[in-house]
Amino acid sequence: MSQRIPWVIKYRPKRIADVANQDQAKEKFIPWLRQWLQGRPPEKKAALFYGPAGVGKTSLVEAAAHEYGLELIEMNASDFRRKEDIERIAKVAATQMSLFGRRKIILLDEVDGISGTADRGGLDAILELIKITKHPIVMTANDPWDQKLRPLREASLMIPFNRLSERYVVQVLKRICAAERIECEDAALKYIAQRCEGDLRSAINDLQAIAEGYGKVTLDIVRNLVVSRDRQYTPWEMLRNLFMSKYAWQAKRAVTHTDLDYETILQWINENIPNQYTDPEDVWRAFESLARADIYLGRIKRTLSWDLLSYVFDLAGPGVALARKKSKFRWAKYSFPQKIMLLAKTKEMREIREALADAIAKRIHTSRTTVKREVLPYLMIIFRERPDYAARIAVGYNLTDNMIKYLAGPLYSQVKEHINMLLLRMEKPATASTRVETRATQPQTKNEEAGTSKARRATRKSSRRRRKGGGTQTTLPL
Amino acid sequence: MSSIAELLWAEKYRPRSLDEIVNQEEIVKRLKKFVEEKNMPHLLFVGPPGTGKTTAAHALAHDLYGENYLQYMLELNASDERGIDTIRTKVKEFARSRTPPGVPFKIVLLDEADNMTADAQQALRRLMEMYTASTRFILIANFPSKIIEPIQSRCALFRFTPLKKEDVIARLKWICEQEKCKYTEEGLETIYEISEGDMRRAINVLQAAAAIGTVTPDIVYKVVGLAHPREIREMIKLALDGQFQRARDQLRQLMINYGLSGVDVIKQIHREIFSQELKLPEELRVMIADYAGEIQFRLVEGADDEIQLSAFLAWLTLLGQKMRASS
Repeated sequence: MSQRIPWVIKYRPKRIADVANQDQAKEKFIPWLRQWLQGRPPEKKAALFYGPAGVGKTSLVEAAAHEYGLELIEMNASDFRRKEDIERIAKVAATQMSLFGRRKIILLDEVDGISGTADRGGLDAILELIKITKHPIVMTANDPWDQKLRPLREASLMIPFNRLSERYVVQVLKRICAAERIECEDAALKYIAQRCEGDLRSAINDLQAIAEGYGKVTLDIVRNLVVSRDRQYTPWEMLRNLFMSKYAWQAKRAVTHTDLDYETILQWINENIPNQYTDPEDVWRAFESLARADIYLGRIKRTLSWDLLSYVFDLAGPGVALARKKSKFRWAKYSFPQKIMLLAKTKEMREIREALADAIAKRIHTSRTTVKREVLPYLMIIFRERPDYAARIAVGYNLTDNMIKYLAGPLYSQVKEHINMLLLRMEKPATASTRVETRATQPQTKNEEAGTSKARRATRKSSRRRRKGGGTQTTLPL
Repeated sequence: MSSIAELLWAEKYRPRSLDEIVNQEEIVKRLKKFVEEKNMPHLLFVGPPGTGKTTAAHALAHDLYGENYLQYMLELNASDERGIDTIRTKVKEFARSRTPPGVPFKIVLLDEADNMTADAQQALRRLMEMYTASTRFILIANFPSKIIEPIQSRCALFRFTPLKKEDVIARLKWICEQEKCKYTEEGLETIYEISEGDMRRAINVLQAAAAIGTVTPDIVYKVVGLAHPREIREMIKLALDGQFQRARDQLRQLMINYGLSGVDVIKQIHREIFSQELKLPEELRVMIADYAGEIQFRLVEGADDEIQLSAFLAWLTLLGQKMRASS
C-alpha cells in the first residue's frame, strides 16, 4: 500500500499535446525551445513559467524533455544554498554536450521560494547560471512578482500559465478513473473539479485519497471529504502539504492554514510521522521537533503567553517537514489520530481510577499519586489472583462496581459473586456463621483452597438458589 | 462485619500511637516529649518513602488528642490539593474551628511539601506565621533540600532513615503471625531487598504475595513482576528491534489496560533499562536513562504523553538501528 505511486506521478503527461489548456504558454515556449535545439540560443536564455499551483508548469517541461529526448536536470531553489549543488549544476550548464551527445534542459523548480528565504546568495547563483549556460533553463514560480525576483524576471522570457477549466479537470479525472477501473459518479468528479479551483494536482490527490479509502467515488463521500478549500486545509491536506514541503515557509503555511485547533494539529502529525518517513533517523528528528512544539504549547497554556505560538508552528511545521533527509518522498496513507479516539474511550476508566485512588488515599493517609503508583498495582494482583479474598477487601473499602471492574478485569463476575456470598452471610448469620468463620481466616494458600473448593462450590450453588427462590436483595447498606 | 471485610495491611497494621512505633527510637523519644509538655514547634519530617513520617505524625496527634484526633488535625496533600489558594482557604477555616481540650494548638499536616513550588512555599511560610498562635504545622518531605530556607529555619527538623533489615523483617513476621499466613525466611528477606527499606511497599508486597500462596522468593518475584507489566519490556524490545509502529501500539495498550499515565510509563521504562533481562550494551543504558529523564521532566511540566513517548520510542528505534549497524 505504502509503495503505491501517487497518481499525479503515474498520470503525468508524456507528450506536449497531453498538457492541455495551456496553448498560450506553449505558443511562447515551443519556439523558444526550438531555437535552442537548432543551436541558436535565444536572447533570453531562461524561461520563467508562472501561474497557480497544479496547472502544468512542471509537467510541460517534463513532457517537452520527453518528446525531444532531452536529459532533464532538475533542481530546487533551496538547493542553491548548498555549494556542491551549485557547482554540480554550474558544471552541467557550462558544458556544451554531455558524453553521449544528449542535449539537456535545466529545470529550477519554485524559484519564488528563494525570495521567502531572503537568501541573496541563491539568487545571485541563479543569475550567474543564466549568464553562462549552454543549455535551456526553465524556472517555475507561483508568484514571480516579488521585488527580489526582479533581476530574474528581466533575465527571463516570461510565460504565464492559466487556471485550468473545470471541464478539463473533469475530463482528466474521468480518464484516470477509467484507467484505474474505479466506479465514479460524474457529479462527484464535477464537485472535486469545482473545489480544486483549477489546481489539477490537488484534484488528482483528492481523487486518489477518496478512491483508495472507499473504493468508489460518489457525491456523498466527496461532499463530506473535500471541504471547500478557501485555503483552509483538511487534516489530510495539511499533512500532504506539510510532508511535501521543500521550504520552511511552505511547511509553516501548511500548519497555519487549517481550522484544526493546535493540539489536534500536533496529534495528526504525531500519528502520521511514521506513516510518512521510513528512515529511523528522520522519524526521530521529526518526533523530537514535534515534541519541542508540544513543550512550547504547554508553556503557552501554563503562562498564557500566546506570543510563543509561532514557535509551536515553526517546530511542528518546518521542523517536522525538514527532518526528512534520507526518506524518499512517497505517497503515504494518513490515518486518524488514535489518541483522540483512545482518550474518549478511556476517559471513564481514568475517572474511576482517580476515584479509587482518592478513596484509598484518605484511608492510608497518602497522596493519590502514591496510591496509584504503590498500592493499585498490588491490589490489582490480589483482585486478579484471589477473587474470594479480593471480595473481602472490596467490602472493606466499600468499592463500587466500576472500581471492582477496573481492579479485577476479566475476573469481575467472580469477585462479584464472592461479594454477594459475603453479604448473604452477613444477612443470615445463623445459617452462615460456621462458613464465615472458615472463610474469615486470612489468605489461604492455593493448596488449602483446593481442599475447600468443594465446599465453596456448594456455597455458591446454595447462594444462587437463595437469590432465585427467596428474591433476597443482594445489596446491603454497609 | 469485621470478620468479613478486609483492609489493606498498610492501613490495618499502621501503628496508632507513638508506643507502637518500633523503630526510629530517637525520633519517637523527642516526639513523646512534645506530648508530655503539650507543646511543640512546627515540625519538618524528612526522609525516603515508607520510613514512617506520616505514621509518626498521626501517632503524635493521636497521643496528644486521643482517639478522635482527626477532628483536630487538618490533613493536606501538596500533590493533590490544587495550589496554594486551596491550602490557604482550608487552613483559614480550620484555624477558626474548635480548639482541642487541654492542648493549646491544632495540627496542620502537609504531606509531600517538597512538591510545592518555591513561590507556594513562601505563601505557606506566611500562613504558618499568621496562625502560629492556634496551629502547628507538620511538613513532610522526601528531600529537605527542596524546602526553602525560611521554612526550614522555622521548623524542628526530624530525619527519618530507611528501616533496618531486622526491623522490617520482624514487622513482616509479626503481621504474618497475625494473619496466619505461611512464609519462608528467604521470602521475607526478598521482600526487604525489593522494598529497600520502604515499609509501605514491603507490606503491600507481602499482602499480595500472601494472597497468592506461601511467601517464598518465587512468589515475591512473581508479585513484583506482575506489578510491573511485562509489556513495558516488550515495548522497549520492539522499538530497539526497529518496529516503531508496533512499539507504539503496545504503548497505547499499556496506557489503556493499566490506566498508566505517561510519567508512570517512563518511570517503569527507567526501571527496565537497568534490568539484565534487557540485552543492551552497558553504555547505552546510561544514554537511554538520560533521555528518559528529559522526557519525564517534559511530562511533569505538562507536555503531551503520546507525543513525548513517541519521540522516546523513535529514539530507541534509531538507537537499535545504530546498534545493529555497529555489531
